[in-house]
Amino acid sequence: MDLSSEPSDTIAAAAAGDRAAFERLYRQFSPRIYGLCLRLTGQREAAEDCTQESFVAAWRALGRFERRSRFSTWLHKIAVNCVLSRRKGLRAAYEVAEPWAGLPERADPAGAAPPLDIERAIAALPDGARHVLVLVGIYGFSHAEAAGALGVAEGTSKAQLHRARQLLTSTLGLEES
Amino acid sequence: MNDRRQESLDKLIESLPREVVPPGHVWPGVAARLSGRPRRMPPMALAAAVAIAAAGLASFFTWTVLQSPSVPRVIQGLTATASFDEPRDPKYVLARDSMEKTFRERLALLEPATRAKIESSLAVIQSAHEDIRKALAADPQSPVLERLWESTWHEEFDLYDRVVQATQPSMTRI
Repeated sequence: MDLSSEPSDTIAAAAAGDRAAFERLYRQFSPRIYGLCLRLTGQREAAEDCTQESFVAAWRALGRFERRSRFSTWLHKIAVNCVLSRRKGLRAAYEVAEPWAGLPERADPAGAAPPLDIERAIAALPDGARHVLVLVGIYGFSHAEAAGALGVAEGTSKAQLHRARQLLTSTLGLEES
Repeated sequence: MNDRRQESLDKLIESLPREVVPPGHVWPGVAARLSGRPRRMPPMALAAAVAIAAAGLASFFTWTVLQSPSVPRVIQGLTATASFDEPRDPKYVLARDSMEKTFRERLALLEPATRAKIESSLAVIQSAHEDIRKALAADPQSPVLERLWESTWHEEFDLYDRVVQATQPSMTRI
């Protein structure tokens, strides 16, 4: 997980009710939270809703945030919970929406990475495999953290990551390279 | 999966941007829903909550030591007429004082070991009561602390009641 320095003063001010400070936290952390929600849900609208829900939930719970854990870690867990709590509702929407809608046009805008292919392949993965790949493979959760967040056994998390990687390899034609 | 394919996949995953800036309308949606201040459990209230739990345990322990089916008439009369919803109610204070007097008299008749355990339980309850009083002094508007404050009064009264009940009417040594 990204362990970049955390703005402890801003966090403290926001916890005391300073909305301007909370907006600064939003500006700093929302791109990562939105990216996480986008990849977990595979839908732009759902990701927007989850991002909004996550920050509202964070505001309400900020007074109980324990400084022993990292704010970014805490916020990621809130976002994962928001996504998972919407999972049943998302299934119906998934059938009528392009699962990769809203994802970046290019995986690496500054580089030569293949556009959308990897994002589309990830979005098309089964839920369980996609969730683990996004949390562990992209956002740096440990298997224990991912298992805890997803409510599965650590072994299941490892198995799902393996499955996700196999499916991606096949979908992207990497076996032929 | 062989190493080469793994490396290719790792490179692709590594190339993904971790951050995606959300559309501009997301923050106004968040801001519109920020009502009040973040909820907080004050440290003093937390300490008080722990204290009240300890007081409850102490009272329960006393009950297990002293449980008895007999109920003295004087206590029945007090509990029937006094309202204990408000610990500062004069009726409550009067009933409590009377109960405490009887409690002290009966306590002196108990075995030293039993007496020590009951006094220890009472000390826990009174300590909790004092902790909550301090917390209320710092945060007098807290409804949580107010309820905890009342609870400790009830716990103390309950302990007196149990001792009096358990030692009535035959004064059997426990």
